[in-house]
Amino acid sequence: MTEHQLEIDWTRCDAHGLCATLLPDDVTLDEWGFPVLRGRRVTPSELTNARRAVLACPALALRLQRS
Amino acid sequence: MTILQEIPQQLLVIGEARLLAGLDRGRADLVRHLWTHGEQPQLTREAYAALAEEAGLKGRGGAGFPVTRKLADLPAQGIEAVVVNGSESEPVSRKDRLLLTLAPHLVLDGATGLARALGAHRVVVAVHDATAAASLRAALAERVTDEAEHRYRSDGLDIQIADTPGRFVAGEARAVLSILGGGPAVPPGRRTLPTRQGLDGRPTFLSNVETFAQLAVLARLGSRQFSATGLRGEPGTQLLTIAGAVQRPGVLETPTGIPLDTVLQYAGAEPGPVLVGGYHGRWLPQTDGVTLSRPQVSAGIVLALGSTTCPLGEVHRVAQWLASQSAGQCGPCLFGLGALVDDFARLLQGDPTGWQDAQRHLGLVPGRGACAHPDGSARFLASALEIFTDDLQRHLTTGTCGRAVQGVLPVPGGAW
Repeated sequence: MTEHQLEIDWTRCDAHGLCATLLPDDVTLDEWGFPVLRGRRVTPSELTNARRAVLACPALALRLQRS
Repeated sequence: MTILQEIPQQLLVIGEARLLAGLDRGRADLVRHLWTHGEQPQLTREAYAALAEEAGLKGRGGAGFPVTRKLADLPAQGIEAVVVNGSESEPVSRKDRLLLTLAPHLVLDGATGLARALGAHRVVVAVHDATAAASLRAALAERVTDEAEHRYRSDGLDIQIADTPGRFVAGEARAVLSILGGGPAVPPGRRTLPTRQGLDGRPTFLSNVETFAQLAVLARLGSRQFSATGLRGEPGTQLLTIAGAVQRPGVLETPTGIPLDTVLQYAGAEPGPVLVGGYHGRWLPQTDGVTLSRPQVSAGIVLALGSTTCPLGEVHRVAQWLASQSAGQCGPCLFGLGALVDDFARLLQGDPTGWQDAQRHLGLVPGRGACAHPDGSARFLASALEIFTDDLQRHLTTGTCGRAVQGVLPVPGGAW
């Protein structure tokens, strides 16, 4: 089974913060508004929501990486 | 070009001189190079792979990645280029520009020998030091005919000397490839491997200047003779740059795994704290029993602080420089290093919130950027707070440790 993990392209991220709102279990924000990933695997049941969050990122900085 | 160039760089050797052999009277032209080292043997890719494996050769740019794994990761065919990363962006390091300046033929032998073995048709040497670049061009003129501007052809191999900017993160391997491909001098956001997507997006073998000089020596000596000195796991010699509160600053060739105390004594270091690995490295709690090898020694920088300057003030100066070197593309690095500069300024003046904020910020910076600059900078700053506990206590209680900042740790002004 393929496992997935969230990843951030730091060169693109502009601290819009949508990811933390959409995926509160996986992403929190630091004091400057940049995402802090909890680093856990995305379970198959969460995959749809994670994909939506990736598509919602205005900077195209959030990615779902196969691990 | 650099604030350190006024200080004469001494060539020091402990044990057998290999990379620095024959350089005691200055630059080795082709005749002197051949007289010292002999002809470069033409080996196959399989022979290079076996040599790198047997000799446990590791990259000398800082990460200490095994050469054998880099070679194994390249495809069987279609290798675009061999790239020599001579940007030497660590401000204290002098070993790579010294090699390019005094022993350009040894570096070129290593790069062209490997390029031919890999079937790559291009060799690119990325360099930003003007003296080193001039020496390389003179060396190429000695080796090849048919010289076009900045491009040289030799037996079907296209050799190019490329200038790169003198900025810390511009020396990172993927940033160098970006520059050479006509892109910006910053690391890309995606973690690509040069062996798969290197120069022009094609498979590339990229390594540090010293790695290629070591390969040239290894090709000549064979793994058995190469391994006659140094550590069993990573034999041979290494180049170190030693600076700071020392009587004889310079570039030193030693067997791998040499005790740090021997190096400090040899260079005439004043007693006091020692930083190993440059401004992405670590302060040592003591030097007793410490030996110098990769990855801890990183690009081979050893800095002695002495005992008359304010350690945390020195670290604060370097922190300001490290923050200024952020490419500014990644938020946690840009804001985090900036915040840490402010935290250190406050703790130096005796404000305990400066220390508390620094602890928090040091946790927020590592692992959150496109390159290792935030990680390395945080490592350097965190180790300072761990080691200089007495000084920290004095600053927090009285606002000073009683010593002025003398600038023992060199910090470049502008480009260097």
